Amino acid sequence: MAAVVELDRISKSYENKIAVKDLSFRIDAGTMFGLLGPNGAGKTSTIRMMVGITMPDSGTVNLLGKPFTRESLKNVGYLPEERGLYKKMKVMDQLIFMGQLRGLDPATAGRRSHDWCERLQILDAADKKTEELSKGMQQKIQFIATLLHDPALIIMDEPFSGLDPVNTTLLQDTLVDLKKKGRAILFSTHRMDQVEKLCDAICLVNRGEGVLSGGMREVKSRYERNHVIIDFEGDNAFLNHPAIAEYKDYSSHVDIRLKPHADAQSLLHAAAEKAAIYRFELIEPSLEEIFIKTVGEKVDA
Amino acid sequence: MRDIRLIAKREYLEQVRGKAFKITTILIPVIFAVVIAISVLAGKYSGSGEHFVVAANNATLAEDVRAQLLTDKDANLKVDVVAPAAASDRQQLIDQVSQKQIDGYLWLTQDASSGKTTAIYAGRSSGDFTTAGRLSDSLDKAILQQQLTGHGVAATDAATLTKGVKIKTRQVRDGKEMDSSTLGTFIAAYVMAFLLTFTVMMYGMNVGRSVIQEKTSRIFEVMLSTVEPKNMLAGKLIGIGAVGLTQLAIWAAAAGIFSTTALAASVMTGDFQIHISIPEIILFAVYFLLGYALYSTLFAGLAATCESEQELQQYAPLAAVPVWLSFSMITFIMSNPNSFWSVVVSLFPPCAPIAMFLRIASQFPPMWQIALSLVLLLLSVVFVVWFSSRIYRIGILMYGKRATIPEMLRWLRYS
Repeated sequence: MAAVVELDRISKSYENKIAVKDLSFRIDAGTMFGLLGPNGAGKTSTIRMMVGITMPDSGTVNLLGKPFTRESLKNVGYLPEERGLYKKMKVMDQLIFMGQLRGLDPATAGRRSHDWCERLQILDAADKKTEELSKGMQQKIQFIATLLHDPALIIMDEPFSGLDPVNTTLLQDTLVDLKKKGRAILFSTHRMDQVEKLCDAICLVNRGEGVLSGGMREVKSRYERNHVIIDFEGDNAFLNHPAIAEYKDYSSHVDIRLKPHADAQSLLHAAAEKAAIYRFELIEPSLEEIFIKTVGEKVDA
Repeated sequence: MRDIRLIAKREYLEQVRGKAFKITTILIPVIFAVVIAISVLAGKYSGSGEHFVVAANNATLAEDVRAQLLTDKDANLKVDVVAPAAASDRQQLIDQVSQKQIDGYLWLTQDASSGKTTAIYAGRSSGDFTTAGRLSDSLDKAILQQQLTGHGVAATDAATLTKGVKIKTRQVRDGKEMDSSTLGTFIAAYVMAFLLTFTVMMYGMNVGRSVIQEKTSRIFEVMLSTVEPKNMLAGKLIGIGAVGLTQLAIWAAAAGIFSTTALAASVMTGDFQIHISIPEIILFAVYFLLGYALYSTLFAGLAATCESEQELQQYAPLAAVPVWLSFSMITFIMSNPNSFWSVVVSLFPPCAPIAMFLRIASQFPPMWQIALSLVLLLLSVVFVVWFSSRIYRIGILMYGKRATIPEMLRWLRYS
């Protein structure tokens, strides 16, 4: 199956700064892809090249299996990090206008806007001017504007920032639905918990370069499970076990970091001999840890 | 094309529905009417209702001057006579002036043998030209009448002779002689030039403001992911230009309706006969469109380099220079429409819309000059569009600080 997006060694530099350097990744239909990185890493620059706002200095962008053309953009929905709506326009007029720009006729755009407003529970706001609405409402409207033309590729830059938990869940569920319907979703953020929950694949960029990419499971499997939590009662002498690099002892709860390639099972045996174990968990590294580790290493280098 | 149309339509509807459009559409003609009415009335009634004393050693002369002064009904003067006046009366008059009982006095001394008259006017204000003009006019006529009657001319004949002749100005247009007046032509040209400048500037700034708003609200990033920057700019220019034309059309229609009313008939007689021909209206629209295209693209480009409306305002004086230049030459152009400098200014693109329009209103310039000014204007529009669209494309994506001139030059090369 052809990838919905395929970036091949794209680079972009501005006058005195390299924004993106030799970045490659692909996003398949029906997947959610996390583009991660610290602030200023080149996420927005990368997205801008995917939607034709800027052109790469070198490398190629393929959209929907074809080299980039503006025509393909009719099949892309982009929600930028910096939100913007026409303040003086009424919500419904604005949505229809956006839909028309993406090639819909006014009637279809109107019907779909109505359906979406109903689904996201903002139908009462449809007749109001945008400037009269709360930030969260405006964000939902922009969310709708992005999806109105039912794009094959959906690009969302920090889509949940500033939303309350109820609305965040509402929009997350919507995105998961769209993914199941076979849309490709690129999701750019530095909220690692959301990426971990939602994304099937990730690419971590730092200083314009892709430092880590692949499927979520595969990326995580590259990192050792070296974090152990034990809840116990009894003798804590097992904390002298040779596999342990460092630990924090909170009386009946210890947080342990293992030495590289250490054997966690022998630690479990040692602990079980001396104490009653209520919980022994070998935790896989969180994306956040991987992120900090990878980016931190590069920063030090 | 579809994108341009959609953007133009959105921009047009938003502006036409906005408060600013309604307010300016109503307020501008009202302000014009008030300003013109005030300047006309002020000229007419300046120095009116004043109280003078005419003091002379010759009582008949004093009475004649008084009679002349009172013929000007608009002035509504109060004139007393002290005659024959002695030197002691003068001090009394001075006291009256300083006590504000009278506004001034005219002291006349006529030599009985030669008939030569000397006149001194003393009043509280020395710079009142209207009063000085009125007094001198009345005195001249009175002396002339006195001398004519002295030479045996009947008093009624003398009055007719001194009455003076008013010149009625007519203008030759299209091979026909038409009623026209210098004042009427001047006001028509002035109003049209002012309207042209005002609308070109207002809508030029509007485009700039609209670009800034899109930039500060970040809407352009959504827009640019579907629309090309050049289409976005073109749609904006067309939409806002159409708003300007709509407003001008509303004013023209209102003026047309007004001119058929009885009120207009009473105002538009005599000095205020104004003729605006069809070619003038067409050229007005053409100069509006080109002038608008020139200034609005310039403002769009500059706005893209700014971060806020306040920053954009700093560029406004730059655009105002050609306007002031044109307006400072307004009397020169009106009285010498075909002189070298009038021609040069009316061909210079930034000034062309205003200066050429003043020339058209006073004396239709040769066709080739109009054509040349339009061509030059068009070329400069092309250049500014080229310049601004490049700046716009890059500037709109830059946040954080205002671009410096060297940066803008790099953008020109870069894009």
